[in-house]
Amino acid sequence: MSKRLNPYVTAPETMKPMIALEASIKESGLEHSLIHLMKMRASQINGCAYCLHMHSSDAIKEGESPARLFLLDAWHESALYSPRERAALAWTDALTLISQTHAPDEAYDEVVSHFSPEETVKLTLLIGAINTWNRIAIGFRSAHPHDRPAKSDSTAV
Amino acid sequence: MTQRLNGFQTAPDAYKAMLGLQDYINQSKLEHSLLELIKIRASQINRCAYCLHMHIADARKAGETEIRIALLSAWEESELFTPRERAVLRWTEELTRLVDRSPSDEAFAELREHFDEKDCVDLSVAIGMINLWNRINCGFRTLHPNDRRREKAAA
Repeated sequence: MSKRLNPYVTAPETMKPMIALEASIKESGLEHSLIHLMKMRASQINGCAYCLHMHSSDAIKEGESPARLFLLDAWHESALYSPRERAALAWTDALTLISQTHAPDEAYDEVVSHFSPEETVKLTLLIGAINTWNRIAIGFRSAHPHDRPAKSDSTAV
Repeated sequence: MTQRLNGFQTAPDAYKAMLGLQDYINQSKLEHSLLELIKIRASQINRCAYCLHMHIADARKAGETEIRIALLSAWEESELFTPRERAVLRWTEELTRLVDRSPSDEAFAELREHFDEKDCVDLSVAIGMINLWNRINCGFRTLHPNDRRREKAAA
C-alpha cells in the first residue's frame, strides 16, 4: 500500500482551515477522554488506520486504559464505558453510518439525556469532523508512522 | 417529522471553524457547478433532505438543468455528465461510501487524469464537508424550507 499524496505538502492552505476546525473541537470543553473514544470509534467504522494510530496514541498519552481502547469495537457489550460515554458512542455509530441508520430517535434521545443541547451540537460536529478526516486520510492513503516495521513473509512463522 | 434542535442557535460558536473551512472551499478555483454536483450526490447517498433541498435550489439558481439533477443518481449510465464530472462523481461516491470499500486506485487514477494534486485535496475536503453537513442536518432533523408551490397546494 503506498501513499497517494500528502495533503499537507500539496495543499497546505486547504489544510489550514481543517486544522482550525480540529483545534475548535479540542477546545470545545468536551472531556478529552470522550473526544478520543469518539474519534477512535468513527475511525474503526470507516477503517482509517492513520486516524486510529493517531488517536489511540493520543488517548494513551492522556491516560486512557488500553483495555478500553481494545474493547471499543464491542463497546455495546462491555461495562467499561459510562452511560454518558455509551450515549456518545451510540450517536457516533448512528451518524457515521448515516446512510444506513438515518440517526434514529432512540440514539438521539439517549444523547440528550446525558448532554446539554450545546454539548449535543459539539458532539455532532466532532463526529462530522472525524468523518471528514477519515475521508481525507483514507482517500490519500496517508501512512501512519511505523513504530516497528512489519515482519516480512519470509520471517513469519 | 419535527426538528430536534437548531445547532446554529444553540451553539453558534461551535460552527465558526466549520464555516471558515466551507468558505475556503467555496472560494477555491473549483467550478461552482461541480461543487453542487458533489453536494447533491453525497446528500442523495446519505439521504439528507435539508442538504438536497438547499443544493438543488442553489444549483438551479446557478443554471444547472433539471434533467441533469434528475439523472444524477444514475450518472454512471448517462451521457449528460462530462468525463471530468464523472471522475468527481465516482470519487464522491467512493469517499462517501467509505464503510463499504476503501476508495479504489482506479477512482483515484481517474481523478488525477482530470485534476492536479491541489484540486484533488480541495475536492476531497469538499466531499468530506458535505458528509459533515449531512450528518449534522440528518442528526438534528433540520427542516428544509417548504417552497411556495407546496404551501399554496396545502392552503
